[in-house]
Amino acid sequence: MMEVLNNLAFGFSHALTWQNLMFCAIGCTVGTLVGLLPGLGPLATISLLLPLTYSIPTQGALIMLAGIYYGAQYGDSVSAITMKIPHASSIVACIDGYQMTLKGKTGLALFTAGVSSFIGGTVAIVVLAFFAPMLGEVAFLFGPADYCALMLVGFVCVSFVTTGSLLNGMAMCLIGVLLGQIGTDVTSGMQRFTMNMDFLADGVGLVSIALGCFGIAEITKNLDNRDERTPFNGKINLIPTWPEFKRIIPSALRGSAVGSFLGILPGGGPVIAQFAAYAIDKKVSKYKHEIGSGAIEGVAGQAAADEAAARTSFIPLMAIGIPENAVMALMMAAFIVKGIQPGPNMIAQHPDLFWGLVASMWVGNCFLLILNVPLVRYWLSVFKIPYAVLFPSILFFCCIGTFSVNNNLDDIYTTAVFGFIGYMFLRLDLDAAPLMLGFILGPMLEENFRRALLIGRGNFMVFLNRPISGTLLGVIAIFIVWQIASYFMKSRRPGAQPGPQPDPVPLG
Amino acid sequence: MNDRNLARGLFLIAISLLFGLQAVRYPIGTFSRAGAGLFPLMVSSLLLLIGVITLVRSRFETHVPITFNPKNIAIILASLCGFAVISAHVNMIAGIVFMVFFSSIAASSRSWVRSLKISAGLVAMAFAFQKLLGLNLPLY
Repeated sequence: MMEVLNNLAFGFSHALTWQNLMFCAIGCTVGTLVGLLPGLGPLATISLLLPLTYSIPTQGALIMLAGIYYGAQYGDSVSAITMKIPHASSIVACIDGYQMTLKGKTGLALFTAGVSSFIGGTVAIVVLAFFAPMLGEVAFLFGPADYCALMLVGFVCVSFVTTGSLLNGMAMCLIGVLLGQIGTDVTSGMQRFTMNMDFLADGVGLVSIALGCFGIAEITKNLDNRDERTPFNGKINLIPTWPEFKRIIPSALRGSAVGSFLGILPGGGPVIAQFAAYAIDKKVSKYKHEIGSGAIEGVAGQAAADEAAARTSFIPLMAIGIPENAVMALMMAAFIVKGIQPGPNMIAQHPDLFWGLVASMWVGNCFLLILNVPLVRYWLSVFKIPYAVLFPSILFFCCIGTFSVNNNLDDIYTTAVFGFIGYMFLRLDLDAAPLMLGFILGPMLEENFRRALLIGRGNFMVFLNRPISGTLLGVIAIFIVWQIASYFMKSRRPGAQPGPQPDPVPLG
Repeated sequence: MNDRNLARGLFLIAISLLFGLQAVRYPIGTFSRAGAGLFPLMVSSLLLLIGVITLVRSRFETHVPITFNPKNIAIILASLCGFAVISAHVNMIAGIVFMVFFSSIAASSRSWVRSLKISAGLVAMAFAFQKLLGLNLPLY
């Protein structure tokens, strides 16, 4: 207990330097802005700004990127509440939040979301401070086979959570893994899939893939849709009454607990945490009959869960070294670019970085509370920018971002190619987020897989004999069987012909 | 056949073959001593399997038409490539101006004045990146 407090104090001494405060403030502001704007998610923003952080000191860069991530979660809920513009991470906020706006209680909803997010964030940081070092010690027990199994669990969970279809998600993960194979094989030094092109020897650039699939493809999707938005013009009265304020607290605490827990699990993160928190509030809240028609609880619980999960999802990355969702995969890339390998050794080797980041999350929490509660009305003017102005600017950022990774204009062609592929994915209803995870974990997966087989002398039992990997693979097998069973149940019910039999995916 | 599920299956199969057929040519090795080709081969076979399942399943499901609008994506990609070409041969300011004007064809409304203003703003931002963040941009 004392140790954690000491460490936190140490972290704050790093987070509260002028420089890091500034990076935190920039990150939070940019994150909120991006959360508000249509068509750019945290994934796109982090990949846009990743190259720009190369010249910033390590700690500042990570603090800023983290700020962008949880700032974007905050900003998302604002646009969801005022205009019912759902982003990937604020679908739930549209339900009760927008209902409250229709009732003329926008201010109350925004206040609730802001305060609950603050509570959620604070709870999550406590969880992070206690739990990450503990989990880090568990991670030392992991062998290559266990890492493989854990990554596969991550793939399955992310596929299912982000796309809702295990098949589509897994396909994208595998495409990501294959893209990660392009370049020089670390073990044998052989060049693979380079088509004799020199610039591919180092592999495809992460930023090119991310910007192509999330930046360019998103712009084009929005241009195809051509939806005009009407800016919000209502009145905002932010100060709640005391009874209203009292209703926020229990629901926000419930949401924080749910969010903190779901944030840690593989495949978890803000999206699933919100739905869970909302469902729990609907079951246990004192005002459950009001939820769905604009209740405070419907906003508070999910906002807290959202923020909490955004922060606790850093735990698996920093403690085990395995990112659990696509955003964390990009954060991992940022760590690696800075020469830091996230994993069990990180906390011991770079305590200033780890505790500084944890402390900065709370500082960022305070920034976001100020940005999103008293200043929220100024943010809403962002929506008056027409898309015709916005998209050339995003395009410009994509170009500069791609260029500045290697100071090479040819990388822009790679981005263009992935922009086209990303657009194809979009039209084929394939979500690119699992691809990102596969791309970053692919090389790690291969290395551990080969190492595990080397240890097991080519025998696949090495994956089943170890307790950790055996359990994890068992979980995957049960999950796949359940998926197949539910597919057949669904197709049998309306009396249709039974579908084709998807074979259980052979593991390993 | 305009069916999104079918197209998806074909697309996945194509990608798996693209990687898988190349992987066969690399040394496969044995399981205890894996060669460079083993892992990509396994991953692409798995992808092939998923592609085939998707393809077969699409026969039993309701068809969803695929919507594809080649105009916007072509404009965006062309303005990206134009930016790269012009920045390489002339300079980046010209590249930015070209990109803004060319991509504005895809916008719902067009205005020369607005494009000019955006270009000016972005050029100013590029200068700020160069001076403040120390990015090495070949602006002029």
